[in-house]
Amino acid sequence: MKDFRFGCLCLAVAAMLALFAFPTRRQDSERYNLTAIVDITRSMNAEDYRIGDQAVSRLTFVKHRLRELAGQLPCGSKLGLGIFTERRTTLLYRPIEVCAGYNELQHSIAALDWRMAWAADSRIANGLLNAMELLQAQDSAMMFISDGQEAPPLNPRYRSDFSAIKGQLKGLIVGSGGLQAVPIPKFDAKGQRTGIYGPDDVPHRSSFGESDLNPEKIEGYDARNAPFGKHAASGSEHLSAMQEAYLQQLADESGLIYRRLQQDSPLLDIVRDAKLFESAIADTDQRHLFALLALTALLLSRL
Amino acid sequence: MNPLAFATPWALLGLLTILAPLLGNSMRSTRYPWLTLLPADPLSNAIALAIRLLGVLAVVALVLGLSGLYRKAQTVERIGHGAHIVVVLDRSNSMDHTFAGKASDPASHGGGSEQSKADAARHLLTEFIDRRPHDRIGIASYSTSPLFVMPLTENREAIHAAIDATATPALAYTNISKGLAMALSFFEHQPVQGSRIVLLVSDGAAAIDPDSEATLRTQFKQRQIRLYWLFMRTANSPGIFAVPDDPRDDNAQAMPELYLHRFFSSLNIPYQAYEAETPGAMQKAIADIDRLEQLPLHYQETRPKQDLSALCYRWALVFISLLLAAKFCEARLA
Repeated sequence: MKDFRFGCLCLAVAAMLALFAFPTRRQDSERYNLTAIVDITRSMNAEDYRIGDQAVSRLTFVKHRLRELAGQLPCGSKLGLGIFTERRTTLLYRPIEVCAGYNELQHSIAALDWRMAWAADSRIANGLLNAMELLQAQDSAMMFISDGQEAPPLNPRYRSDFSAIKGQLKGLIVGSGGLQAVPIPKFDAKGQRTGIYGPDDVPHRSSFGESDLNPEKIEGYDARNAPFGKHAASGSEHLSAMQEAYLQQLADESGLIYRRLQQDSPLLDIVRDAKLFESAIADTDQRHLFALLALTALLLSRL
Repeated sequence: MNPLAFATPWALLGLLTILAPLLGNSMRSTRYPWLTLLPADPLSNAIALAIRLLGVLAVVALVLGLSGLYRKAQTVERIGHGAHIVVVLDRSNSMDHTFAGKASDPASHGGGSEQSKADAARHLLTEFIDRRPHDRIGIASYSTSPLFVMPLTENREAIHAAIDATATPALAYTNISKGLAMALSFFEHQPVQGSRIVLLVSDGAAAIDPDSEATLRTQFKQRQIRLYWLFMRTANSPGIFAVPDDPRDDNAQAMPELYLHRFFSSLNIPYQAYEAETPGAMQKAIADIDRLEQLPLHYQETRPKQDLSALCYRWALVFISLLLAAKFCEARLA
């Protein structure tokens, strides 16, 4: 009769043989293919996020979260980058693999700057429609990150029509910014900060095309010379808050999912929660299980 | 630098368990009334020590395997032919037109003379990049403002992804000085080695204001840049080398291309301009650059990290098998 130590050693050898026979097991894993479109209009310079103790602009915070996302996505996932300003979207690069392209992603996201804007309007709906058209033929899901502030204000009579493209693209609208209106910093041509936008710096209502109001209700209405009335509009368009209801409405119209970028929620949670991944079968290492078994058996044989 | 590292270093705590084979023994103990009765036997002592040692080695091998021992990625310096190239791409609206100056028909992608200038540039750059495996390439583009696209990198997939993305519609106007300033910034904090090239691909030019002119002048010189300008001339537009018929037109606003060319020539840096009116002529220019820029370049080749845990497990199997063999030789006393 052999004693229990013999049994333990046999078990250890068997575990090691099993380790070499079955080193991996197949497991479902998440693969992402995302294209982030970042709003770089002026209102994204409003400072209502914090990194550590420091108040940072929406754009800085979005960049921070995007870089974090690029580091957290599982290998094999892809991330592309584009920017939105005026009424158009442009792609900087198509999605690249996140592990091999780690440095490139970190660098290029860090280099995003509001000064890349080729024009200064902020027509979110047009930009969103444009982004969806660009990405329509791709297999990449879109992540449109914006604070939803149209500037100058939109005339509700002229709205973008998403019906042709609705539901043809998987994606998210990520609302960035706080719900409290905050001032927007102003910069000069050299990038030096020169104060904030005041009420006289921005138009407070659309004066484009026909008014959407009943002409009889407009004071000083004149169909040709003053279709919006004789008074200058006043308002708070010089301040910026995230227009959550508007972004939600855009998401409904375009068949996308709306999520808010909160101070303490990583983007990975948001994209995972929105099920933007495709599951792929990947081989995962399971050698440590057999090695642990062998080690335990080996130690027991020493009792 | 230590070339070895662990994937899960905390698993090294398992090394504490080598105490077990040091203190215990996998052999059956046999009772003797008085050990001193036994004669000293060097062979037995050696075998006992060997068995303990085998136990320790088996545990160490297993724990090293469990903590994911690997050899870090190593960079090996090699010498090849290549350069550091920053491609500056014009994304102004006119790049979406054909060489004949017509708006290109989106249906005719992929060839023929009806190809837009942006398409032609994209195809040629893609080929150019594929032909030059050791170059580090960065990409900037500009219209009214400069866009930082891709830092200097060896990652071909990333470079292609950036070149492909220029298939999306072009943007606005031509602000060449900001584009160039952006391209020059790529070489900041980069080691000077091999040749440093800025390849400007544009179909128009713009006057450069005196302030940026001075900055560009010093930076081109300081950073030892070689400049290539691939000018995609639209039919019937003034070219780089055109001489104005009317002296009143001889100014930077009327003939920005000529003035930009004069500015580049006055920089005292290696500079070459190519004027291409067809995709074929562009191909020639690109081939020319490919031939000229074959200076020796030190480049780093990365050997990927190498997993050593399989090796550890293999040794663990050997040690445990030897222990088991020793166990088979065990004599049984009554």
